Amino acid sequence: MTAHEEAPDTSAAGREASGVPAPAAAGSGAGANAAAEQPDRSRRGISAWALGGGTEPDARFTLANERTFLAWIRTSLAMVAGGIAVEAFTSELFTPEVRKTVAVLLLLLGLVTGGGSFFRWLNVERAMRREAPLPLPLIAPILAVGGALVAAVLIVFVIWRPA
Amino acid sequence: MHNDPGLQPERTDLAWRRTALTLVTAACIFLRWMPHYGWFVGTLVAASLLVALGIAVTQRRRYHRAASGIGTGAVTASVRSTAAIAGSVVVLAALGIYTVLYLPLQH
Repeated sequence: MTAHEEAPDTSAAGREASGVPAPAAAGSGAGANAAAEQPDRSRRGISAWALGGGTEPDARFTLANERTFLAWIRTSLAMVAGGIAVEAFTSELFTPEVRKTVAVLLLLLGLVTGGGSFFRWLNVERAMRREAPLPLPLIAPILAVGGALVAAVLIVFVIWRPA
Repeated sequence: MHNDPGLQPERTDLAWRRTALTLVTAACIFLRWMPHYGWFVGTLVAASLLVALGIAVTQRRRYHRAASGIGTGAVTASVRSTAAIAGSVVVLAALGIYTVLYLPLQH
């Protein structure tokens, strides 16, 4: 997966070249269209409540935000699967304390980034609807620090392990 | 000339399907726990597979929604889909932590 695949094309040139109207122009007209062809009332209710007003952004931005969210979800699922793998496959390599520490750290990392990715997605969607600057991702430093922590535990174990 | 907007729903569709496949992979790794922790892990395997199946079953509708949204210029973000997947990951991770910390090992 490449970085540009997840990123929306925000340039005016890209917008004009593809013939999609700018978000400001799409505003009320596109919003009315989306409402007209959305028969699922309950979802509209939940979405309207969670997204909190504003105007519909360009469809490509909404879809790009969704793909970025899914990339975060897969990252957190990889952490969860990694935590399970450490607990299941490393009983001959690690002492039980190290094994459980690394497994729980990875599972916690998966839990926090998985839950956080939803709020990240929601905040980005809200910002786009208000045409505000995109918020910084809090889950990125969490993932970085958590990954470093797991590596630190393993380094300490490799240095101190009984030969 | 390829028109990029037309491929957006397809890319998003593939992202959802990759996510479903990742859930199947997680379920397979959960299976390795079963000899050590017993039937409780079976519920984790079933839950992961159910979420993956849920994505697969609703994917056609999600794709058509995105495709028609590209046509009109706007898609209303589906809070329910994202909340359901993120919630599932949180629950799976929490059950995993519970298993590692509190379930007795069987030999």
